[in-house]
Amino acid sequence: MLAPSLLFLALFTYWPVVQVLWQSLHGQVRVGGPQAYVGPQNFLKLFADPAFRKALANNLVYALGTVIPSLVLALGFAMALARSSRVNALFRALFFLPVLIPLVAAASIFLFLFLPNVGLLDYHLAKLAISGPNWLGDPDIALWSIMALTIWKNAGYYMLFFLAGLQAVPADAYEAAILDGAGPWQRLRYVTLPYLKPTIGFVLVIGLLNVVTQVDHVFVLTKGGPSDSTNLLLFYVYQQAVENYDAGRAAAGTLVMLALLLVVTASSLRTLERSFGEKEA
Amino acid sequence: MTTTRRNILAGAALAASFALSPAFAQAPTEIELFFPVPVDGQLARDMAALIKEFNEKNPSIKATPVYTGSYDETLIKTRAAMKAGKPPAAVIMSANFLLDLKIEGEIQPMDGLIKADGKTNDQFMGQFFDALHGNAVLDRQVYGVPFHNSTPLLYVNTDHLKEAGLDPDKLPANWEELVATAKKLTKREGDRVTRWGMMMPSNYDYGGWILQALTHSNGGQWFNVDYGGEVYYDTPSMLGALTFWSDLIAKHKVHPAGVQAGGAVSSAFLSGQASMMLLSTGSLTHIRTNAKFPYKVAFVPKNVKNEVPIGGASLVIPTGVEGERRKAAWTLINWMTSPEKSGWWSRATGYFAPNKAAYDTPEMKEFIAKNPDAGIAVSQLSFAKPWFATYKTVPVRKAIEDELAAVLSGKKTPKEALVAAQKGADEIMRPYVEQTALKLPTN
Repeated sequence: MLAPSLLFLALFTYWPVVQVLWQSLHGQVRVGGPQAYVGPQNFLKLFADPAFRKALANNLVYALGTVIPSLVLALGFAMALARSSRVNALFRALFFLPVLIPLVAAASIFLFLFLPNVGLLDYHLAKLAISGPNWLGDPDIALWSIMALTIWKNAGYYMLFFLAGLQAVPADAYEAAILDGAGPWQRLRYVTLPYLKPTIGFVLVIGLLNVVTQVDHVFVLTKGGPSDSTNLLLFYVYQQAVENYDAGRAAAGTLVMLALLLVVTASSLRTLERSFGEKEA
Repeated sequence: MTTTRRNILAGAALAASFALSPAFAQAPTEIELFFPVPVDGQLARDMAALIKEFNEKNPSIKATPVYTGSYDETLIKTRAAMKAGKPPAAVIMSANFLLDLKIEGEIQPMDGLIKADGKTNDQFMGQFFDALHGNAVLDRQVYGVPFHNSTPLLYVNTDHLKEAGLDPDKLPANWEELVATAKKLTKREGDRVTRWGMMMPSNYDYGGWILQALTHSNGGQWFNVDYGGEVYYDTPSMLGALTFWSDLIAKHKVHPAGVQAGGAVSSAFLSGQASMMLLSTGSLTHIRTNAKFPYKVAFVPKNVKNEVPIGGASLVIPTGVEGERRKAAWTLINWMTSPEKSGWWSRATGYFAPNKAAYDTPEMKEFIAKNPDAGIAVSQLSFAKPWFATYKTVPVRKAIEDELAAVLSGKKTPKEALVAAQKGADEIMRPYVEQTALKLPTN
């Protein structure tokens, strides 16, 4: 019974990994020449490349700076809209709307939002006599502009999980808390959050995976620039593979990314299991 | 049973009718043409019209235009198609990628095709402007046929000039005049700039080209025209050019800081939020159609001399395109670069027609009489030099464009930036240099 799924898993997951492993140890020795075994050279070149180190650091900032704010926002939306009513249904739909827009389309919209001088953002800032920064053209700001798009796009998605999670909190837990004289903050801290722990863990995993796998907006908005300030790991790999035509280094970068993903998912899954375990005990 | 038999009979009859019809006997050779759209405007629509006409006039060939994005993306998609074993029969390729493609053995020389037409390489290339030969003839072999070309051009909003009390017939011709004019054109409300005197695009691909224009105007050269392993980033002429750009921002405060995308620059100009800009001649038609104010164009202002780089694209045939498809591609290439067609394309887009004879056609003479800006663009062509082209052109260019971005954002001084860019570029070209210029006899 397992055989067909194993076959597909091997064909589409494990075999490509083996190929990437092979490619990471091979490369062109002669310009325009064939592939040859080069040992760990691709990895050495990778870590010696300032652009790669920059992409690694950017990805870390991007992960922390998007996953946590979207999570907090999503939780806020979900709690505000948990009770079902007509108005809440409308707002849920509104907050969920960005999720339905393809990332490339959303990025194209933000491109016009961020346009210096003539863009929507600067247009409204100008009314307040504020000159907006160069949203996508300033290396100090560009990454944050992209992160704003990501947060806008993801918060509504995570809200869905929290809405579901909140359904699972028993009403009598709140009643008991109120009887004990717990204020809203204490109810959140000691009732809601503990019940939502598995959901938070799940959203964290989803969020961190998205951080590594979504680069469409980088492609549309900045192409990794200015000065690699918005370069992310996957985009770096793309650049090495197709722009620099260096398959070996791209493969090495892919393996580093794969290793990071493994660590993130493994540790998240362990935390998840632990929180589920606590509830059962 | 009966239905199957009937189907078979019907199928056989159909096949027979096909075999007998003349259409089947001469099935057209199907070829694809990869084409980029590097500037604003409706180039994709115009290309569809051009190829439709070609197919109508050449029933033995069926060409399909395939839109492939920017110049950089076109290179990527062509390489992907070649790796997949399905090279397009012809590609409109950014002219400065030809050297890199030749080094990697990805495009074929056209000498054999030219010879079969009874021409020498010199005769064939003689129909195109001299400035274009550097990016098309490599090591005496013809690798590309110039299709549309450009140079950077100064665009000026003449309403703004008049408003500032300046003579709209006297456009800035050198860097000093440019700064003085830009200062008068820049408008402020308190600390806030409401109108910029000058704007230049600095996004990837565009920024390097504009910086090359400034470097040439400053008497410099970007790269070794004869050898693909050397760039001259860390040189006085380049330092002057980059410092000039950085001064427009930090010292004179007439140019916005940070990276400006090409589209953002033309939008700012069209909306009246920038009074002057350097942009490709390829954008002429877009500006002409959309400007709601009078504007003029002029040569790129000089510091040392009037000189600009060529931009634009050439038609190439990838390696692996053989036989009938190769012949069909050659027919298409010759048709597209004929005086009539390259003239038509030039009028539709704003690019130069690389074929000199295009400017002798009555349509073109009439057009230039009506649109003097197009004429000024053409006259700048005589001051043009080849576009930078090296081994791994894109990353070598990106090495300086990343540094350019840092300078324009005030993160680095021009000198620091150029030293870093030179180091980065040398590193990228090292494998090629070691296997060519530094590969010396050992005994």
